[in-house]
Amino acid sequence: MVNIEEKMKNFFAGFLDMEPAGIASQANLGDDLEMDSTEIVELVVALENEFNIQLKDGEITNRNCVSDVVKTVGDKLG
Amino acid sequence: MRQVAVTGVGIVAPPGVGKEEFWQNIKEGKSFVSPITRFDASAYPSQVAGQVKDLDSSHLSGRLLKKMDRFSVMALVAAEQTLKDAGIDLAKEDPYSVGVFMGNTLGGWLYAETELRDLYQKGRNGVSPYNASAWFAAAPQGQISIHYGIKGYSKTIVADRAGALMAIGYAARIIRNKKAAIALAGGTEAPVTPYALLCCSTEGSLSHGPYRPFDKERDGFVIGEGAAIVTLEDMESARSRGATIYGAITGFGTSCDGTHRIMPDQDGRGLAKAIETTLDSAGYQPGDIDYICADGAATELGDVSETRAIKKVFGSYASKIPVSTPKSMFGHLLGASGAVDLVGTLLAMQEGVILPTINYRTEDPECDLDYVPNKSRPKEVSRALIISRGRGGINVVLAIERS
Repeated sequence: MVNIEEKMKNFFAGFLDMEPAGIASQANLGDDLEMDSTEIVELVVALENEFNIQLKDGEITNRNCVSDVVKTVGDKLG
Repeated sequence: MRQVAVTGVGIVAPPGVGKEEFWQNIKEGKSFVSPITRFDASAYPSQVAGQVKDLDSSHLSGRLLKKMDRFSVMALVAAEQTLKDAGIDLAKEDPYSVGVFMGNTLGGWLYAETELRDLYQKGRNGVSPYNASAWFAAAPQGQISIHYGIKGYSKTIVADRAGALMAIGYAARIIRNKKAAIALAGGTEAPVTPYALLCCSTEGSLSHGPYRPFDKERDGFVIGEGAAIVTLEDMESARSRGATIYGAITGFGTSCDGTHRIMPDQDGRGLAKAIETTLDSAGYQPGDIDYICADGAATELGDVSETRAIKKVFGSYASKIPVSTPKSMFGHLLGASGAVDLVGTLLAMQEGVILPTINYRTEDPECDLDYVPNKSRPKEVSRALIISRGRGGINVVLAIERS
């Protein structure tokens, strides 16, 4: 899970044009990272391609925080 | 029309990014039309364009840039320039007293056509979710308003090649009527893309070679890309804050020919009406005008009807008025062209120069005005008209005055 978390922070940093150190585990995608619904759509497709997983509609929303996304993706990867 | 001051200019155009570079290059009467290199245009009838080569958008984040088409990026660069030039910090202004008025013809086609390609090649998941907000004509207005927190009366005008001049005309009215204290007004266009060029080509108005307005050997116009935005304020307010004033917008008129989906009225009756309306709104007599910045579509019907409209309004005085099309140097920026013409004319009036119509070599008996061929001409201009025309017979005229 640690590796997934690090990988995910790097992924978010690249996605949002930010430094990895600026991505906190508890950062809320909407309130803290200011991601709107279209960025969530792009994020979901990018995660599916990056990790070769399938995400259902609503499985990740801008009410989630980064650690929620780490858990969701981690669970998919088993 | 109560006088409206132009207090700032921003320009992104083939001759230069920023007013200094733009002016230094256009005053020489050189051509900034070149072969299209951004994609393979070898199968197109027109393979040249005015292209912006050095667009620095480094002040915008990568996160924002990936959500915008080039036409919005150029608009944001021009907006930054015009506000800096005007010495206005919008953070200190009432956001509800500031408006943005933008003209555009095609929308963000590079973004749209790339995503359409991906839709058909990769399926639904291959399409950027930002396409919905990147491609449409009002996107630049939205991006500028978001970037600066502008919340006042605003509008996007789609009026084919007359869009920017119409946007500036309506913005001037909003300032005159005190519906806004500051207006950013202009246009933006990014037509150097495979599909946009194809659409322009199928109209049959594009040139194979030099863009030769009013010349007997004309074969249409050349497309160009760019953005231009001016800052408008009430003249008294501008003077009281000690702003640099480029000139005043004093009149505005518009009309429709109501004749054909592409071609203008062959006698220019609609354009003549728009010129008369503009002169009336400015309180001018025909003899007050020292210069006309013409649309100069370089189609036979376009040039002849524009010439006839000018002769109809100005009579025997028409032959004494210099009439030029500076866009022959850098291409027709379509829905942004009127704003580029306004910026060029204001800078020329400041310098006591009339910009030329380049590539002119063969006289046309039907076009017998003084088109200021090939070289800039020293002349003091106090009052000028700018003409923009769009497909379907849209006519827009703006009157301006040196301050």
